[in-house]
Amino acid sequence: MLSRTAENLFWFSRYIERADATVRLLEVGYRISILPNTDQGYRNEWEAIIESIGSKEEFIRRNRAFNRKNIEYFLLFDKQNPSSVINCFSKARENIRLARTAVTLEVWNAINTSFYEFSTYTGARYTTKNLLEIIDIVKRLVNTIRGTIVNTQLLNDGFDFLTVGTYFERSDFTARLIDVKYYILLPSSDYVGSANDQFQWGMLLRSISSYRAYNWAYGTNEYSYSRIIDLLILNMDCPRSLAYSVGKISEHLKSLVNYYNQNSKAHNQAKVIFKKLKNQTPDQISNYGLHEFLESFLVQMDDLYDCLNQKYFRGI
Amino acid sequence: MYNEVYVNNKVRKEYKHLLANIGNLSPDVIKRKKSEAEDIIRNIGITFSVYSNTDMTEHLIPFDMFPRIISALEWKKIHDGVTQRALAINAFLRDIYHTGEIFRAGVIPSDLIYRNPAFDVKMIGFDVPHHVYAPIIGSDIVRTSKNDFYVLEDNCRIPSGVSYMIENREIMMRMFPDIFQQMKVESVDNYPQHLLNTLMSLKPKNCYGEPNVVLLTPGPLNSAYYEHTYLADTMGIELVQGNDLYVEDGITYMMTTVGPKKIDVIYRRIDDKFLDPLSYDNSSLIGIPGLFDSYKSQNLTIASAPGSGIADDKAIYSFMPDIIKFYLGEKPILNNIMTYSCYNTEDRKYVLDNIHKLVIKEVHGAGGYGMLIGDRASKTNIDLFKKKISKNPSGYIAQPILDLSTVPIFDNANLSERHVDFRPFCLVGSNFRKLVSGGLTRVALKEGSLIVNSSQGGGVKDTWVLADKDAK
Repeated sequence: MLSRTAENLFWFSRYIERADATVRLLEVGYRISILPNTDQGYRNEWEAIIESIGSKEEFIRRNRAFNRKNIEYFLLFDKQNPSSVINCFSKARENIRLARTAVTLEVWNAINTSFYEFSTYTGARYTTKNLLEIIDIVKRLVNTIRGTIVNTQLLNDGFDFLTVGTYFERSDFTARLIDVKYYILLPSSDYVGSANDQFQWGMLLRSISSYRAYNWAYGTNEYSYSRIIDLLILNMDCPRSLAYSVGKISEHLKSLVNYYNQNSKAHNQAKVIFKKLKNQTPDQISNYGLHEFLESFLVQMDDLYDCLNQKYFRGI
Repeated sequence: MYNEVYVNNKVRKEYKHLLANIGNLSPDVIKRKKSEAEDIIRNIGITFSVYSNTDMTEHLIPFDMFPRIISALEWKKIHDGVTQRALAINAFLRDIYHTGEIFRAGVIPSDLIYRNPAFDVKMIGFDVPHHVYAPIIGSDIVRTSKNDFYVLEDNCRIPSGVSYMIENREIMMRMFPDIFQQMKVESVDNYPQHLLNTLMSLKPKNCYGEPNVVLLTPGPLNSAYYEHTYLADTMGIELVQGNDLYVEDGITYMMTTVGPKKIDVIYRRIDDKFLDPLSYDNSSLIGIPGLFDSYKSQNLTIASAPGSGIADDKAIYSFMPDIIKFYLGEKPILNNIMTYSCYNTEDRKYVLDNIHKLVIKEVHGAGGYGMLIGDRASKTNIDLFKKKISKNPSGYIAQPILDLSTVPIFDNANLSERHVDFRPFCLVGSNFRKLVSGGLTRVALKEGSLIVNSSQGGGVKDTWVLADKDAK
């Protein structure tokens, strides 16, 4: 496979996952914002959301107020925002156009149709739907694209690059989401464990489709710090946890090693990160500091990307 | 004006069955089918790009559902005529880049070739693999009466449109499956396989096993990018861009996830001048340094060969009948259109005096740009072209305004007549020629218009070549 094609497939998947993550984040903001404003409430959820995707400076530079309308537009349709859903779909489509010969006609159709469908909501038609409807549409489109990949792609090296892209983006998003929850939404540790804290965790879990999962995994809806860390970071049954994502990345990098019959530093690095996650307990993470832990995780993932990039995308 | 469906108000027999089936569909059904077709086109992503000064936008190709039918007998004439030209063109290219017999015989003035910017001096004396310069030739054919087919030009650089030929059929088969069961229409979907066989047959001297064939595209901004992806996909070969390739020690490689892989045959869809910044335009960012060297070392086949474009130069066009006679000793099966070369004093005088009866074309223009149709142009425009011709006579040719044949389109719910042309695609392999039974029918969607180019309000139609027994 062409190096460029591998890179296109990887980024295609990342952008699709990012579109999904962006609307999920928007959903968190929305659900928090319709909370009754009790005296406990610290109402900076919209600001926190922009901050979590690293776009705060850009947003402020353009002199926008942190209100729902502006942020909705910024995250969904703003062509100046590189991570807006419209840009994610458009870049995903561009990447797959470049790698058109590496995916099935069905996959191309799925992304192409999704791009057109979502584009019809820009401008005037946007107001015909409410936010939750738009969010549902995006989730449905993403699931259709994913399903088409799983159902029609050959399980060859291309599939590995597609999968690695998805889980790269997902681990990145989950890590940022947890970080936001603890260090931005709740500025003071006084809030931890409060009713508002409980509510926010519930919303956050909903946004990553893990609300029920929590109950199934721990038999209770009582949120505790260590269980949340376990679910979102360490639990191998939760498809959005860091451990699961890195496990998937490692599995598909191994598959590339076998497919090409060539060792790669990328696979070794993925194994190292995975092993580290496997050997952790929630308490250890807590003692180390959750924020510090997540930061060092993201640095390791950057290294992993460098290995991947050099080995497969740059032909070095 | 020749109407391909009705002759003397009677339906021609080839169209009888079709009209009985789709001639009186209700407006509702037509509307539904139209939007169905548009959905298919949009979802498959059949687009072409149009450039303007500021922007580049993707457009969907306008598709009309009324097919154009060509009888087996008519097809035989087109087939024989087109393959004849393809053979002559390749013989001509080989000759002018070697000994130039045709100049010595006085058939063509050598100046017309040697001073032509499309003539590539770097190709002189070089033996291209299997002596095939132009392996894919798309000849534009127009019809003016029952038996009169003319060739407007032979595109032998990088003719495009063949993907529409195949996709149009695909769409029609989805929309009118029953008609295909009742009529014997020759299939076109094996074109990519024939193209691949053709390219593989042209492997270079220094390739001993099965050749690695790739399609080189300028990228997604190119107006024919959809076709590049379509052909690479259906042939099962890599679609590469310049920055995927490099040349080392005269060998061309592509960068893959397992390291460099040698390339043997490049089906290039980029112009000569962008191929290799070391040998051509040194500002080319999409070219591959050293590619020409790799080609000349017999490690690589570039298809079509650099310098092939001279054969479809408008200045050479009027010599095509002589070229066919000279190399094949045959009479041309398909006629040329009377062409006036403005550099010739006598012709120029005729052109300037009769401009209202003529189409004026820039010698190096393409795509329906840079032309003037005398009977419908404004006086200002005519004066402008007269000035241009007097100033640079060799830059212009003129041809009579042809009354192109018509085929109906679905104009909302009504059938109305529009002018069409036709482009079949002839493949020339190492020791064979192949013309898939079909081609691209382009249609001028504007009433009365003669311009069929998609960039200027043209659309496409499926073309049905009938199998032999329906001809009787």
